[in-house]
Amino acid sequence: MSSYAITILTLIVIQAIVVCGLNVIVGYAGQISLGHAAFFGIGAYSAALLSTQAGLSFWSALPIVLLICALCGLLLGLPSLRLKQDFLAITTIGINFIVQAVFLYVPFFGGALGISGIPRIRFLGEALKGPSFLYLCLACLALVMAICWFFTRIFAGLACFALREEESAATSMGISPVRFKLLAFMLGTVFAGLGGSLYAHYMRFVSAEDFSFPLSITFMSMLVLGGMGTLLGPLVGALILGALPEVFRPLAEFRILFYGLMLLLMIRFQPGGILGESSLVRKRIFPMFLRRRS
Amino acid sequence: MNSALLEVKDLSIHFGGLHAVDGVNFEIQRGEILGLLGPNGAGKTVTFNLISGVYKPTAGEIRFDGKRIDGLPPYVIAGLGLGRTFQIVKPFSTLTVLENVLVARGIHRYPAASCLWTSWRSRKEAGEAMALLERVGLADLAQRKAGLLPLGNLRRLEIARALAVGHKLLLLDESFSGLRHEEITQLEALIRAIQRDGITVLLIEHNMRVAMGLCDRIVVMEHGKKLAEGPPAAIQQDEQVIEAYLGRKGEANAS
Repeated sequence: MSSYAITILTLIVIQAIVVCGLNVIVGYAGQISLGHAAFFGIGAYSAALLSTQAGLSFWSALPIVLLICALCGLLLGLPSLRLKQDFLAITTIGINFIVQAVFLYVPFFGGALGISGIPRIRFLGEALKGPSFLYLCLACLALVMAICWFFTRIFAGLACFALREEESAATSMGISPVRFKLLAFMLGTVFAGLGGSLYAHYMRFVSAEDFSFPLSITFMSMLVLGGMGTLLGPLVGALILGALPEVFRPLAEFRILFYGLMLLLMIRFQPGGILGESSLVRKRIFPMFLRRRS
Repeated sequence: MNSALLEVKDLSIHFGGLHAVDGVNFEIQRGEILGLLGPNGAGKTVTFNLISGVYKPTAGEIRFDGKRIDGLPPYVIAGLGLGRTFQIVKPFSTLTVLENVLVARGIHRYPAASCLWTSWRSRKEAGEAMALLERVGLADLAQRKAGLLPLGNLRRLEIARALAVGHKLLLLDESFSGLRHEEITQLEALIRAIQRDGITVLLIEHNMRVAMGLCDRIVVMEHGKKLAEGPPAAIQQDEQVIEAYLGRKGEANAS
């Protein structure tokens, strides 16, 4: 594989990890978040600062990064307890802008220059780059997806599904909306933080504009395209929307226009995404494979 | 001591100037079926929502099994063994019928940390949820998506979920409305069977024949106040109740 392809794939896998986190919040718990890039950024900046300022390695910094992200998720998940739907969407957009502004204007975060000189990740004495870094990202994605799979099978996950469908009925069955919405937010932001940490050590440079609102829209587009609430949807969405801009480089200017159009068409014709319930892929293409096998 | 399972004392809630429930008193004895009747807008559903914790009362107190529950959040009250249905059915639409009941079966898991590692997909859980579905007659639809069911089946699903939660008291909010005649007969039999199992039932009902036949006692509400209380036969003869439903000057035959 060319190093170009490996770079693209690595970024796609990192984005898939972040979109898995968004899927927990939006797909499983039914809360809207249009500011997920902020948590991706919080993870990246925490990793960048801990490695450049405190001299920690990726591995020793990781638990602290994830803890910071969990606490931020807890704090910023609080609005979700009082706000619903459109109002929550607008609040999370606001959170994205505020977090980005903090990165940009507070000198501690490097201001407009960002943070550079982030060391490579070392594993068994080797500095990870190229394919070996991709393998690390793939291992993290596998772990994240395994946790997602597990989450859909435990009672805490079931409680989130119930809250997504009918909050008042769920509370009449012993489900505390506070506890389980915050749990979903925390899990979602922890995954975003993991992705952010990998991103910081891969790019070895972070700046505020890497975590702007359009990136949140990209994450959401990936999730809607792949299929909200499905296990593989985030991966499929990240693969398609991560690869398309590379294939259609000359049309890069029209990317956001294309995302908007795609979101509109998906929500009109395939609200469950590519892998969702009663989608074309599920109805037409999956049965073809099943028939061939049997 | 007192054998009442639920005691409602001077219960009031005001929404601005509207006194939706205004100084209501009643008790539910263990093992009885109590009917809550009244014209539209009398405050019956609001009373349900006060008991189940959806609203906090402006004044008064509610005791359940000797413990004060007014002001507690609904998920805590549910955990004490109080299950309820909703007048406007609220299924978890994208989940299957079985999964809907499994959500309710998790009632004692949600407050504990064990909900983070206990699977709801075990054979034991499914078996006990299926038993509840069999009870309400929905077993053959267990794998169907709840959102696809017709109203009659959704009302039964509501009862199955409430049964998983309410091992002491069941609040049924107009469970009979919109049902066909044979469905009504089945549901009446089910509620009697639930009573035989030692579960106390409080129901809101508009169908007089059902309410009179099923309830041990009846509380009638009008304009947020209690109008009358007593056994069905006495309620049928009560002047005030007849007036509330049919109007003053009962020259027409009020039977």
